This record gives sequence, C-alpha cells and structure tokens, in this order.
Amino acid sequence: MSASVTLERPPGAPAAIVGRPDAHRRGLARLGWGFTLPALIFVGLVTIFPIVFSIVMSLSNVGLSASGFALNGFTLHNYDELIHAGVWRYALGFTVGYTVITVMVELILGTAIALVLQRLTRGRGLMMALLLLPWSMITVISAELWGYIYEGTYGVLQAISGAIGLGRPVFLGTANGAIVSMMVADIWKTTPFVAIIVLAGLVMLPEDVYEAAEVDGASGWSTFWRITFPLLRPTLALAVLFRILQAFGLFDLPFVLTGGGPGTATTSLAVLGYKVMFEDLEFGPGAAVATSTALLVLIGCMAFLRVFRAQAGSEEAA
Amino acid sequence: MSAVIAARRRHGWRRYVNGLSLATLLTALFILLPLYWLLISSFKTPVNVGSSPPQYFPNPLSTANYTQAFVHYGFGTYFRNSVIVTVVATALVLVLGTLAGYGLGRLPMRGKSSVLLVLLMISVFPEIAVVSPLYLLMRDLGWLDSYQALIVPYTAFNLPFAIWILRNYLLGIPKEMEETGRLDGASPLRTLWSIILPQALPGLFTAAVFTFTACWTEFLMALTFNSSNNYRTIPVGIALFGSPNVVPYGTIFAASAVAVIPIGVLVFIFRKSVVSGLTSGAVKG
Repeated sequence: MSASVTLERPPGAPAAIVGRPDAHRRGLARLGWGFTLPALIFVGLVTIFPIVFSIVMSLSNVGLSASGFALNGFTLHNYDELIHAGVWRYALGFTVGYTVITVMVELILGTAIALVLQRLTRGRGLMMALLLLPWSMITVISAELWGYIYEGTYGVLQAISGAIGLGRPVFLGTANGAIVSMMVADIWKTTPFVAIIVLAGLVMLPEDVYEAAEVDGASGWSTFWRITFPLLRPTLALAVLFRILQAFGLFDLPFVLTGGGPGTATTSLAVLGYKVMFEDLEFGPGAAVATSTALLVLIGCMAFLRVFRAQAGSEEAA
Repeated sequence: MSAVIAARRRHGWRRYVNGLSLATLLTALFILLPLYWLLISSFKTPVNVGSSPPQYFPNPLSTANYTQAFVHYGFGTYFRNSVIVTVVATALVLVLGTLAGYGLGRLPMRGKSSVLLVLLMISVFPEIAVVSPLYLLMRDLGWLDSYQALIVPYTAFNLPFAIWILRNYLLGIPKEMEETGRLDGASPLRTLWSIILPQALPGLFTAAVFTFTACWTEFLMALTFNSSNNYRTIPVGIALFGSPNVVPYGTIFAASAVAVIPIGVLVFIFRKSVVSGLTSGAVKG
C-alpha cells in the first residue's frame, strides 16, 4: 500500500518538484485506465450487474413461463415469506453455527499444525506440498470420498468401530450424525489452508523475541500465549475472516454428501437458495434467499475491511 | 545459554522418536489416509468396492473402474470440457489481470484504492447470490450448455484476486524499469511485455495456479449452466454419476484419481507460488 501512495503527487505540490510535466502524468493516468478498464468492464458486467438484478428480482413478483420471465411490480412479499419460513430460519441458524464451529476447530488445529511445521528442520517443503493436496481437491470429490468412508453398511468407519467394540454408529442417517460428519469432512479439507497461512505468519515473526524468552526460561506454553499469539493476531484474524466468508457460501459439500438432509438437517443457505430457485423454480423467493445471504456476507466483508485497513495502517506506520 | 542448547540436543532413538516427529507423522496421516482410501478403492474390483469388511489393499488389483468411467460414463468428455474451460479462463484472467494489475500498481490513476476495495469485496461474494440472474441471462442469450457459459463467469470471478496478486508483485519492481523502456523508445505495451513482465513471473504463476484450481473445482455454476451430458465438467460429471439410489463409488474414485492428478502435479510444481499467493492473499489482504 505504502508504495502506491508515493506514486501519487500530493494535490498542492508543484509539478516542477516531481520533474515531469502535467501532460505526461495525465497521459500515464489515461494509459492506466485504458489498461484497467477491460478487466473492470468484464468483472462489472458479470458480477455487479447480476447482484443488482438479484436484488431487484427479490423485490418483485416474478412470473416465469416458457416464453421467459417477467417482473410484475414491487413487493416485499418474498422477504416477508422468508422471515416466516421455518426452513430459512433453520438454514440461517445452521449456516451460522456450522461456520462458527468449523472455523474454530480449523483455527486451533491449523495453528497446532503450523507450530509443528515451524519447528521442522527437515521435510518442511514436503509437508507443505502435502497440505496443499486437500486444498486443491475438488470439493465434490472429497464429499464423495467421505460419503464412502461414512457409508452405513460397507463404509470403513463401520468396520473400524466394529473392530474396537463401538458397534454400528449411524453417521449420515441422523441429523446430528450428519452435521458432525460433514464438519469432519470440511475440517479435513480446509484445516491445511489455515495451517499454511498461520505458518507464513509464524515465519515472519522476529526471532529475537523468542531468544529473549528462551533466556528468561519461559515455558513453550507461556511463550505461545504471551509472545507468539499477540504477534500472530492480525494473521489469525484475517485467516478467520477469509474462512468465515468462504464457509458462509457452503454448497458443494452438503449438496453431494447429504443432499441437505436427512430432512433439512444440513441445508445451508446456499443449498436452500439453489433448491428454491432451480428445483421449485421460485425465482423471487430464491433471489430473496440469495440476496439476504449476500447481505450477511457483505456485513462480514465490512469486518474484513476494518481489520485489513487497521493492518495496512500499521504497516505504513512501521 | 549453552545449558539451554545442550538440553535440546537429543541422543540415540530419541533423536527420531519425539513429540515433534510424532505430531508430524500424525498430520501426514490425517491428510494422507483419506487420499490413500480414494486411490486404492479405485483399483478394487467393482464388487470389492462394496465388500464388508472392506479390503485395506485391493486384491485382486483391477482397472475395471477406470474402464467403466471412461467407456460407460464417458468421463473423457467431462475431462476435455474441464480442460477447455479452465485453460481458456486462466489465459483470459492472466491477460486482463496483468493489464489491470499494471495500471493499478504502477500508473498514476485517481481512485484506484476504491477500485481495489470493490474488487476485494467481489472476490469474496457468494456465488449463490449471482447464479440465478446469470442463469436467466444465459438462457436469454442462448448460452446454456456452452463453453462460454462457464468461461465468462469464471474469468470474471477470478479476475479480482488475480489483479490483487499481480498488482502486489508489480508494485515491488523498481520504478526505473519503465524509464529504461522509454529511453529505448518502446511503447508502453512493449515495455510491459518485455521489461516488466519477466520480473513479475512469480506473480503470474501464482495467479495462474489459483485461477486454474478455482476453475477446475467449481461446481455450482457448472451444475446450473451446463448440466447436459456434452458440456458437463468433471465436478458435475462425478456428482451426477449413477442414479439417485446407486452410487458407483468405484467409478467415482477412478474418475477422481484422474481428476486429482493434473492439479496435484501443478500444485506440487508451483507449491512456492501457491504458498506465496495464499499468504499475500491473507497476510497482505
């Protein structure tokens, strides 16, 4: 950020100090927009236009027929219906609860893994490559894989729990079982992502504070809480916000692993939105689900930006 | 000081068996065991895939699942579709992203920090919020079940992150480089191509690997826009294998193994770029 600031001349400063005529700067600015606009137009048409359209659609009576669809006047009916629908309230609660629990577990596990890898003198590169495997995996595939592992008759977890005397647990057949099973699958896939980010944060910490702690004879535990954790907090905060924003759009995993069931037990906001729009073909209410989800993400985004700005500010001060 | 160091040096078997090595092993197993299960299950015979208790190593080894995936389910078509969509979208992202990253990183434009913030917000927007209007738009354009139905949104949704990454790399290159180009009388585009870009190669790799991975794994839009058999990508194809009542796990894992290998190799080769992308994405914002 700081480097970009130095590129821009303060508004009052005379051009002579910079040593370039104004015309040249204006030329460069025009060139900059010329280079940037193709990408911005592309992004704008494909993302911002649909977002606005979705908001309009959620506030309209949508008529859908073979010949096309029509927006028949303004209404708050879609949102009214949403707020009173038990299934939306459940999906909201589920998505929030699921996000909070998985992100917390991933943060703790990911930090633990990062602390282990930080101490490795050999094989760290190999472990990093290993961590990238679940990250780069198609979520549909990991969902199918865990579906096979959890399978009720021939799944490997049935065999293992039978062998250690735990009987035949039900994984995906009950609401709680399905929720916990899905969380485990999610934690397997995304903990490495958190671990890599935290490890990168750890590597950048100044080494001299550790040496001081070692001389003082501080234990590993107290060194972590009193030195590492406070220094690492900006990294952790950003990793958490990044994950929260991702987890809120949860779709692939429940869609493939549980289909949102049993019943609606694992129906996230995105799965609900998809089903309302493309299975029930209710585009108005579906747009309301989608828009409210986006609104919640936007609120998350604001929090993200606050942290980002605070960090950018402290970087500039440093 | 020396007492501290001496206490840390371990002798004999304790050099190899200690908390650190055990924790590393546990982490490796946590990641590898499910992947081991995927790979060996793909080589079981279709009958043994459903055997109880399960086989912990395939006996006999069989490639029947692979034959089934490619011949019966036409997985080759899905693979080809994924390659086309992913490669074209990645190329478009790199071209448009480099130009925009150069403008936003090195040229004096007013309001570029606002542009960057909007891009950041778009890059975290949930797909579900745009998928229905895009679906209606594509239907009106007659784009449903076509390559452009995925190439265009994939390019748009991956551009913001790529622009951020490339801008960060381009910012770090010394300002004098443009002067060199101008003194030689090269055009701005020429300067960017032959002087600036070679120095930003790590950033290009990072943007490429991230875009490639995102396109290769994307499911929601592919499912919504391209569900016909001829235009399915790998994730949709795998999710729709079999019938609602029968899940052909053997076939699924054979196809999965084939789908995981290109991305696994790519990520392994460019692991440094991926890590730097993850960290500049998260640490620098």
